[in-house]
Amino acid sequence: MPHPDRPLINDAVRKAKNQLFLVVCLLASSLVLVVLVFMLTTLVRQGGGHISWRFLTSYHHDDNPAASGILPAMAGSLVVCLICAAAAIPVGIGTAILMEEFRPKNRTVNWLHQLVQLNVNNLAGVPSIVYGILGVTAFVYMFNLFGVIEANKTPQFEMGARRYYQVRTIAKEYVWIPVQDKNERTIRIEQPCRALTVQGEPLELQVIERGAPPPSDPADLARTVYRGSVASIFNQHRFFYAHLPFGTSVLSAGLTLALVILPIVVISTQEAIRAVPGTLREAAFGLGTTRWQMVRTVVLPAALPGIMTGTILAMGRAIGEAAPLLAVMRGVISNSAAPANLMENSATLPVLIYGWAQDENKGFHDLSAAAILVLLVLLLLMNATAIFIRYRTEHNTRN
Amino acid sequence: MASASKNSGAPECLTARRVRPAAASHRSQALVVGILAFFAAITVATTLGIIGMLIFESSGFFLNSTQPIELKKFLTGTVWNVGHITEAGKLEYGIWPLLSGTFRITAVAMLIALPLGLVTAIYLSEYAPRRLRAILKPALEVLAGIPTVVLGFFAVMYITPWLQNLGDFRTFNSASAGIAVGILCLPLVCSLSEDALRAVPQSLRDASYGLGGTRFDTTLKVVVPAALSGIVSAFLLAIARAVGETMVVALAAGSTPVFTFDPRLPSQTMTGFIVERFQSENVVPGTVDYYSIYAVAITLFVITFGFTLVGQWIRRRYREAY
Amino acid sequence: MKRLSVLVLFCLVLGACEKPPATQPGGTSSTGDSRKAGETDSGTAASSLRGKIDIQGSSTVEPISNQAKEKFNVKFPGVQVTVGRQGTGNGFSVFGKRESDISDASRPIKKKEADECLKNGVTFIELPIAYDGLTIVVNPKNDFVKQLTLDQIRKIFREGGATTWKEVDESWPDKPITLFIPGTGSGTFDYFLEVVGKDGDGEAPLRTSGANVMPSEDDNLLVRGVSGDEFAIGYFGYAYFEANKEKLKCVPVVHPETQKGVTPSRQTIESGEYSPFSRPLFIYVNAESLESKNEVLEFVEFYLDNAQSIVDAARYVPLPAELYARVREHLESRLTGTHFLTAEGEARHGALADVYRRENLVQAQK
Repeated sequence: MPHPDRPLINDAVRKAKNQLFLVVCLLASSLVLVVLVFMLTTLVRQGGGHISWRFLTSYHHDDNPAASGILPAMAGSLVVCLICAAAAIPVGIGTAILMEEFRPKNRTVNWLHQLVQLNVNNLAGVPSIVYGILGVTAFVYMFNLFGVIEANKTPQFEMGARRYYQVRTIAKEYVWIPVQDKNERTIRIEQPCRALTVQGEPLELQVIERGAPPPSDPADLARTVYRGSVASIFNQHRFFYAHLPFGTSVLSAGLTLALVILPIVVISTQEAIRAVPGTLREAAFGLGTTRWQMVRTVVLPAALPGIMTGTILAMGRAIGEAAPLLAVMRGVISNSAAPANLMENSATLPVLIYGWAQDENKGFHDLSAAAILVLLVLLLLMNATAIFIRYRTEHNTRN
Repeated sequence: MASASKNSGAPECLTARRVRPAAASHRSQALVVGILAFFAAITVATTLGIIGMLIFESSGFFLNSTQPIELKKFLTGTVWNVGHITEAGKLEYGIWPLLSGTFRITAVAMLIALPLGLVTAIYLSEYAPRRLRAILKPALEVLAGIPTVVLGFFAVMYITPWLQNLGDFRTFNSASAGIAVGILCLPLVCSLSEDALRAVPQSLRDASYGLGGTRFDTTLKVVVPAALSGIVSAFLLAIARAVGETMVVALAAGSTPVFTFDPRLPSQTMTGFIVERFQSENVVPGTVDYYSIYAVAITLFVITFGFTLVGQWIRRRYREAY
Repeated sequence: MKRLSVLVLFCLVLGACEKPPATQPGGTSSTGDSRKAGETDSGTAASSLRGKIDIQGSSTVEPISNQAKEKFNVKFPGVQVTVGRQGTGNGFSVFGKRESDISDASRPIKKKEADECLKNGVTFIELPIAYDGLTIVVNPKNDFVKQLTLDQIRKIFREGGATTWKEVDESWPDKPITLFIPGTGSGTFDYFLEVVGKDGDGEAPLRTSGANVMPSEDDNLLVRGVSGDEFAIGYFGYAYFEANKEKLKCVPVVHPETQKGVTPSRQTIESGEYSPFSRPLFIYVNAESLESKNEVLEFVEFYLDNAQSIVDAARYVPLPAELYARVREHLESRLTGTHFLTAEGEARHGALADVYRRENLVQAQK
């Protein structure tokens, strides 16, 4: 850097100022490093010792930090993020392609185009809790168009459920009877009928009077019920089980998160597409392609690493997001297993961290730190992938 | 551009194995554009959805026939007292306690994020040797990627006890939350300001040096003023971020809506109120309480949207100057 | 082209992975079922009962229901039990809309809530399950508060009462009182309002807002608040005090008749000596759920059969065995309605053993 050495009256003062400012700069920027290092070390110190196989494979037990773990929360985070990715990535990339490659000439359409751009930029600044409210209104309650989900009624609009009646045999086990009419919540067993064991083997259900001597053979006990026993309906849900409204479920949560990261995906994809040199496009047009053929065969492949990097970073944002999930899934942390279908409510890692940090039982604070470490490692893995992709591309283009 | 394909007769795309008739290619293109337009429409629908929902639901708050809340009272009232059961004391809906909570925390956060972020950005863009840059930049990126709930945890576990050692701070206080939010906004301020500083042409700096300025003179009197609009927009976007921050305040700031300027006291922010309602209550549609969430949310939305809009506008407007 | 296919693959993989791992083969139901049964049968003699139970309501009762859930799930792993803690009032408003099967309550149902149930055709069975002593706590560093009379408590918690400790008692320091109180949606607040807000000459509102008042539905936050502030005072269910003994100091309450300070403990709560802050806790079961969902029936029976150990584990005070027998009887005969309202809709007061009788049972009035 050229630095003219011209003596001035206040030269010394100015130089001193220069030095002083340099010191201020150094202090300020080292503060960033100090904060980061301090945070990470305290987290490792507080939580590191609590990460164990048991911690990774068990679930939250109220009042018992020693037995609690993060398995359902990790599974919940995974499912929510996958739903989010499946929704946000196609929509986000599609929007970005439209914005960058299909600029219309028509005046009104162009105005619309700019509106979409402005809109995307501003959506990125909307607080995530507002998306949470939108998620509650649009997905959980669906604007109250379909009523509420009642605890002991069959939802009106649903798919992916198989229904059985379950009835208790004299052996105190339950057997299943296929359901004919789903609005009939209970039936009384008066006649022998066909049923299934839980293992799925068909059996002939016997009926005896209450008070009559039970059959002596234990195998018979398991296929005999008292006359008038109540068989009640239950749903066996396939993984894609869904009803309207979506209720407080991982599906609602995933879709809400998709809205949160949508603007990020769009903006980063736009940047990746913009980085593709115009010459490539012209070469493609020169060969007589349509615009879409050009985009598909030239622009997208060239922009792919950039798109993937941006998308992974957006997913990083999604996996750490807690506020919208608190609103949509009501901060549940105590589910004991991974969500088995789309309509189940589940803990997620950030919400679990929040719940544990708020718990007055000090043991949970340490677990919260441990869960944070797990979350940070996940984030680190994602970012490392993104950096690796970026590095690979730079390497390739140089060759 | 469309003319290019017309001229070439039978078009063949770059790697296509077979020749497709032009009409078919254009038809499939129209289909694709249709799909893309549908996707773009989703982003617009999101905004319209948010705005529509907020207006529609909060109208239940202001235009409710049984218990209408005056807009004027809402905007000027200084007592916020909501509860599920009406006989438990009187209900008051004045937004100022929540607003003051938000502003207190934002102010503390900005006291930290703005100077630190700007100075770091100046250092990164004007002074830092390459090797230090190679450490600082990734560190900032990592800091930016840390989930906000982690910073909230950090605020409760470490910042609050530290503050309580220093002075008469409550268990839940605005200062602790404000510091954590400040840390959270710092990378944003830094990277946006650095972009602005780097966009200043080298020729301006050279001219300053040519006139005998030190690096400090050059930075302070030439580069920063030239990048001022970008820096201002960075500040505005950071404020919007701080106003909308939820998890940190939900963990560290407490749940007392109170109209004061004392950062040692607990506070409830707009975001904190929303999250508390959703978490602590099965929100029952149709009650004043339920609508109050939307009334607060629309206030929050208008404020953050305003800051973002102005910030974006300044950014776009002045970025093209060079 | 290759890269494009990578992109598509990327999207597809992400899309496909959305399916949770528990995918069942698409064939007959039997294949999936046998796999599931194999899992459950391998452990203890787990029951094949399946289903879903939704419990909402009081955060005071939540520890008990959670204990019940944990114990229940050992035997019935196929039943998914959700326990919420949004407060009694919030719990009842959901219960009245059929969104929950069971409502936890730290006070009896109110007329308004019972009416709401009646309007929506929800009938319920009222089952007391434990005693609680509403415990008033201060910071352990607080050495001036030795005990409190009901009048002093009224001064502290009522609107327009004392704002500094000195105003309560001349000898106490001139420092502002900070209140950490349960939110207005909780039954604990309602019960406190009942006792502290009302006296001979009518009703007075409690302080619920202001710089020194922090209401929260989450008792954990109250514990942290009081334990971190030297001049704080708060109240919540006995179990939360039991669990956080070393961080808090509980205040003996002067018995209105004997004029003796009584510390809440298992003995004083059970004997009723800790007055007027000892109270029963309830679960309300939707009668329709009980009839139409075998899992709910099994759960409630399990709950009552093991009430003693469940309540113990949750650090509350179990009811006398005789009372549990009566509760069980009410369940067996499916006696719906509440005991705590008169036919005219007035609240009925008195000791639990006196009120919880078949002849006091009423359906709510329209």
